[in-house]
Amino acid sequence: MPASTITTTTHDDRADMLDTSLLKELARRSLIDVLNSVNGPKTLVLDPSIAGPLGLVAEVSLLKDHGVDKMFWLESGPLTASTVNIVYLCRPLIKYVKIVADQIKRHIQSPTSQRHTYTLFLVPRVSTLATRILEEEGVLGELTVAAYNLQFIPLEEDVISMEYEGAFKEIWVDGDETAIYDSAQALLTLQRVYGMFPRMVGQGDKAARLIRLLKKVPSQTHTPQLSQTSSDKIDALIVLDRQTDLLTPLLTQLTYEGLVDEMLGIKNTNVEVPASLLAPPTNPDPGATASSSPSAGASATGLSKEVKEKKKKHPLTAGTDPLLRELRDLNFAHVGRKLSKIARRLEEDYKSRLKAKTVAQLKVFVGKLGGLQGEHQSLKLHTGLSELLVPLTRTDIFNSSLEIQQNLLSSYDIPAQLSAIEDLIAQGAPQNTVMRLICLASLTSGGIKPKVLENLKREVLQSYGYDRLPLLLNLGSSPCSLFTPSNSPALKFPYTQVRKQLRLVVEESDPVAAAEVDAGRAEDRDLSYTYSGYAPLSCRLVQCVAQKGGVLALPVGKSGVGNGDAGAGAGAEDGRVRAHPIMGWKGFEDVVGLLPGETVDEVGDGDGEPSPIRGSLSLGGTHATTTTVVFFLGGCTFSEIAGMRWMSRQTKGRRYLIATTGMMNGNGMMDGFRGT
Amino acid sequence: MPNSDLFGRKHTAYEMLWKYMDLSDYIIAAARYGGPLAFMRDSSRLIVLGRGVPAISKSEIRIYSSVGEGLLVFTWEHCKIIRFGWTHDERLAVLNEEGVYRIYDLQGDYEQFSLGNDAGEMGIIDARIHEHGLVALTGGLTLLEVKGWEGGKPLALANPGISEPPTAWTAIPPDQTISRHVEVLLSSEATIISVDTLESTDQRISRGPFTHLTASPNGKMLALLTFSGVLWVVSTDFQQSRLEFDTNSQAVEGAVEGGVRQVEWCGNDAILVTWDGLAVLVGPLGDCLRYFYPGSVHAVSEIDGVRIVSTGTCDFLEKVPAPIFSIFKPGSTSPGAVLYDACDLYERRSPKSDEHIRSIRPELASAVDECIDAASREWDPYWQRRLLNAAKFGRSFLDLYNPVDFVAMGQALKVLNAVRFYTVGIPITYIQYTHQSPSHLISRLTARALHLLALRVSTHLGLKPDAVLKHWACAKIARSKVPTASSGASASESGDNEICKLIVEKFNSLGRGDVSYADIAKRAWDVGRAGLATQLLDHESRAADQVPLLLTMKEDKLALTKAVDSGDTDLIYHVLLHLHKRLPLGNFFRLIEEGGPRLSLASRLLQVYAREQNRDMLRDFYYSDDRRLESAILALDEATGMTDGGAKVTSVKAAQKFLSEDKEHAFEAKMMDESVRLLTFQQQLEKDAPTLGPFVGLSINDTIKNCIVNGMSRKADKIKSDWKVPDKRFWYLKLQALTDMADFEALDVFAKSKRSPIGYEPFVRLLLEKGHQREAISYVARCDANRRIDLYVECDDWRSAGKECKERNNKARLEELRRTCPNTLIVRELDQIAASMA
Repeated sequence: MPASTITTTTHDDRADMLDTSLLKELARRSLIDVLNSVNGPKTLVLDPSIAGPLGLVAEVSLLKDHGVDKMFWLESGPLTASTVNIVYLCRPLIKYVKIVADQIKRHIQSPTSQRHTYTLFLVPRVSTLATRILEEEGVLGELTVAAYNLQFIPLEEDVISMEYEGAFKEIWVDGDETAIYDSAQALLTLQRVYGMFPRMVGQGDKAARLIRLLKKVPSQTHTPQLSQTSSDKIDALIVLDRQTDLLTPLLTQLTYEGLVDEMLGIKNTNVEVPASLLAPPTNPDPGATASSSPSAGASATGLSKEVKEKKKKHPLTAGTDPLLRELRDLNFAHVGRKLSKIARRLEEDYKSRLKAKTVAQLKVFVGKLGGLQGEHQSLKLHTGLSELLVPLTRTDIFNSSLEIQQNLLSSYDIPAQLSAIEDLIAQGAPQNTVMRLICLASLTSGGIKPKVLENLKREVLQSYGYDRLPLLLNLGSSPCSLFTPSNSPALKFPYTQVRKQLRLVVEESDPVAAAEVDAGRAEDRDLSYTYSGYAPLSCRLVQCVAQKGGVLALPVGKSGVGNGDAGAGAGAEDGRVRAHPIMGWKGFEDVVGLLPGETVDEVGDGDGEPSPIRGSLSLGGTHATTTTVVFFLGGCTFSEIAGMRWMSRQTKGRRYLIATTGMMNGNGMMDGFRGT
Repeated sequence: MPNSDLFGRKHTAYEMLWKYMDLSDYIIAAARYGGPLAFMRDSSRLIVLGRGVPAISKSEIRIYSSVGEGLLVFTWEHCKIIRFGWTHDERLAVLNEEGVYRIYDLQGDYEQFSLGNDAGEMGIIDARIHEHGLVALTGGLTLLEVKGWEGGKPLALANPGISEPPTAWTAIPPDQTISRHVEVLLSSEATIISVDTLESTDQRISRGPFTHLTASPNGKMLALLTFSGVLWVVSTDFQQSRLEFDTNSQAVEGAVEGGVRQVEWCGNDAILVTWDGLAVLVGPLGDCLRYFYPGSVHAVSEIDGVRIVSTGTCDFLEKVPAPIFSIFKPGSTSPGAVLYDACDLYERRSPKSDEHIRSIRPELASAVDECIDAASREWDPYWQRRLLNAAKFGRSFLDLYNPVDFVAMGQALKVLNAVRFYTVGIPITYIQYTHQSPSHLISRLTARALHLLALRVSTHLGLKPDAVLKHWACAKIARSKVPTASSGASASESGDNEICKLIVEKFNSLGRGDVSYADIAKRAWDVGRAGLATQLLDHESRAADQVPLLLTMKEDKLALTKAVDSGDTDLIYHVLLHLHKRLPLGNFFRLIEEGGPRLSLASRLLQVYAREQNRDMLRDFYYSDDRRLESAILALDEATGMTDGGAKVTSVKAAQKFLSEDKEHAFEAKMMDESVRLLTFQQQLEKDAPTLGPFVGLSINDTIKNCIVNGMSRKADKIKSDWKVPDKRFWYLKLQALTDMADFEALDVFAKSKRSPIGYEPFVRLLLEKGHQREAISYVARCDANRRIDLYVECDDWRSAGKECKERNNKARLEELRRTCPNTLIVRELDQIAASMA
């Protein structure tokens, strides 16, 4: 297949996507309403966790336009504001509300301070808890409390997120289900915008709870404008709660964007990079920046220099970064090659100026120049980022942790892996790395022998401090039970069966695969490219619903066997299979039944039984494209997004819209277990 | 009519039903949109008694409909009323001088709110009440604003800085100002001061003071009347002066005595000035029309006209609407007029009708629209019908015409005629009706307890009947006989059953099961019928509505269960916090614990709350439920935050004790034991060597490292043996510590002390990483033989790597080295080695 056709088809696919910018507009407009409800110039005090999401919705100039004079972080300590109006914007967490109360009290008590008018906006809604605490602190009468309903924010055209980091911890460690309720509200908004979900499929107890809430709430709201008609753009909602697939976040992500997140951290699409990477290109010769992998020693010293350098936030979105779309979902192993390919292409393009002889040709070149410079800048950034990452991926600890992960996934010699983990502890590996490995071992092997587990725990406590005991206890006792002794009566995760039946681990031994790896086309073969051999369980579960062929069959490119009823005849012309209609878990009931938690398959109101030919096949024949919304309750990783995008590319007629409570990775997950 | 474009139309909507009333004796507040009138005695006037008319007594407030039918009478026994006025949903807001205001609905039920203590002390001297709030002028000449009618907190506006009460003032409601916040205009001395939440601005006018100051219904224009009787119309921002008009001449011509009583807007472009017995309509160009009345009148400004209530009649005065004007103007040739004539001729069987239709063929569609539009402005069903007939007639000549407007107009007129009928008495115009929305009209009907009419109207218009049904049910409950105690429990129960059944049946048959029962149940509870309330509440599907009532009914457990089932965490908190306040702690805990797994969500939420806000309660909670593990975690959590070593030990010890009480956690207890020992050891260390920085709270690893770095390797060894630190880890730690110190001698001694349990590669790697290349090379020789070449390369020691190849006789590798090495110098050396091998 020529490269050009690929790019054009992907372009068309984008046009088929749901227009998520509506959601941004919604959030933006209600922010403006919120700001305008307070008259005159105002001081805005933001809780740090809301500032990031807010930045995705509105830029600072918009805030200034609507009377925001100065902005402060919501931090304990006194607040001095020059304006009469003080507007607080925060999540209704107790600690924030207490700071607000404290600041107001200080103002009241000090006789010299100016009189202020206070308004507190809680995101996404006013909570009784917050008003109660304000009441207990004796300041409720001083301020006006209202809500700013910030729900889904589009991160990319196919990813929308509530950007709520604490969701996993709150639901599974604290047992606080606020995030589930808020998710239901956000999904309802989605329904209001795009129509009702014709079918809701889910796995996991909390997912079931969410779906029940979704079913119940419409009958409770009396808003007449709520359209009760099934959406013609969305064919299903698939809800996966994080407890169903704890495995995937424990592993180290290996896609480009995922690895950046693991190593440098991506927060609200922003990554902190050395400022030098963001400077506009000064050198017009792109060849100089194209060196893909310098020797380890040299770049290690380079790194230490760069650490001291000033860091700068940079938004990592395909909207502003022309190359990111090509790079983000690649396995990191292929990024270097891709970058050098791009560099060569850029060089060619720059060289075309030499060929330009007539004024008209020159004019064409100048017209392209802006785009070229943009790409050049972006290339410089990504080369720099990869240079930062490469040495980090060459450390002993990183590599042995990868090796342990791969071995554990294929259930190979578990005792040896456990002692390898012990060695990592001895070497002083980061706490989160170690904890993730122990959890992984416990999950994949159905619990660790009590003696071995106790020894590991002892090592952890001695190495990282005895105050980590609550962390260990939380890991063992929370509903996730990531830390189980093998003799425990608790329900165990049936890893080996699931692995076999859902083809979680794909051997890369066969020579054809190796050849394709060399050709940089490995990602065309199977989902498992995202973790170099492991296909994320969550994505496989989505496949069970929406791409049944993908789970069972050999990789698509190789043969159409087993693609079932859907594949027949359709995929011939460009190798892509037409999407089959959503029929719930059909065909995979057994394996899904093995997983912990409830399994849900709800057909929306209206037509009663689902007509199997609704959706893509019946509507508009071959060209209709429907969207399947996949909601990750408790967060999802960048690699999973890469997996979902891979699935989008595999089938015609179905796109995936990834919705999540927030982006997460294993480190964040471990931190969640730590704090009480 | 005078020589101008001002054509007025006065429609006498009703002959008043009340007996003789002299309006000048009363203070009157009338609701817009044909709403009711409230009367209160003007205590500054004497009234003649004994004329056979029952005068309104001093403390009474009476409410009449526009047709003069008494709707409600209630007595006011508080201090002096400052102002009363109508809210948007036709409730009467009454404000007294102490800053207390009540909002009465048409059934006589009221809610009471206050403007706060400060306002009470200062006293309220005047107020302006608009549909969505009020602005009060305090005794201190400051302004207070209340938004909405839910008892919101009064907000101080900017200080107007006046020293005397204004001679006239007005408040422009927020929905009509540019800023979307309320704006107050005060006439003070010669000027006008405009005040909003932020600032007070002197408009620098010199022609004041003004006796009257009224804003137009859309808030854009202002009508002012000076003491000398000049009416001045200006935009509210005082930028454009529109009109000046001397009213004195009118008064003289009309031969009335006394001053101007009212200046009210008639729509947005004409003004009505009234005296006792005379009303003058002033048009936009200064032209005017005079209307005479016996006695005084009260004018009510409407968005499209003005309502004039006099002793005998209720009139609606408006400028003649454009469609009516264009159809009925003598000699009009507008398409609408021609169509109307054509229809008229057709009915009289004249062939000219066809000629007329032909002549307006191209504009026929607009002619139809015009007739429909004109019908909407007519009060009399006869004319409405004629105009609609004309429209229908015209429509039949059109191939394509969307009949939606026609049908909708028919429906609307039917509704309007029904509510205008004198038994209902709402003289609402079509424009007001569309402005307010049909559902608002329905709610106004229900507020007057006209349930049947309201229900019929809502079915006729295809609207949901929920609100009507709800109101009906509440009224039903309030009016149904409360069973007396003597008639026994069974009687009351059967009475409850009957009413509940009645209500539920009605709801199911009419409301499609969509009606909320909670409000009705609350009503039942309020009138003391708990049984009925419970029954009704069972039918409610929305937990958010159910739960608060359940709490007031003290159905604690049920409330909590319902809240948990709803999944709305905020609702659960609501219940929890409420119960925590009301119940003794023990009972509160028991309620949650006895709920078992069903209420586990509530229990978890309580813990989240208590951990942040009320730790003592959490400790009690865990203790009362024997949750040792959680108690231990809580203690540990507290220990983490502590800086004082002694307190830390105590907390950890407490945790250890909790854990040791539980067999399952023997291991954890042992660990905490170790932790306590470590803390004591660290305290000792700090005491021994106070200069070496803090030790308390460090992990074993860091303690060992710190000891080595500070030259206390003996202590490090002691920790190793006392806490059974494995050899491997200890070696790594010591390696790291010594490398950090760059104490290579000690490192060498350590490396040679015995065979390394971790091999020597980590030595090489760590030294390399820290940039000690030379020292690193010295350890390569001790590493595994087959790793040495690579390690030498990593140390950048190509020659040694080459030598190693030679020793191992690995030509291929040597060749590879030659290819990858960085410069020619090395290539040459490698070549030499290769040569020597051969």
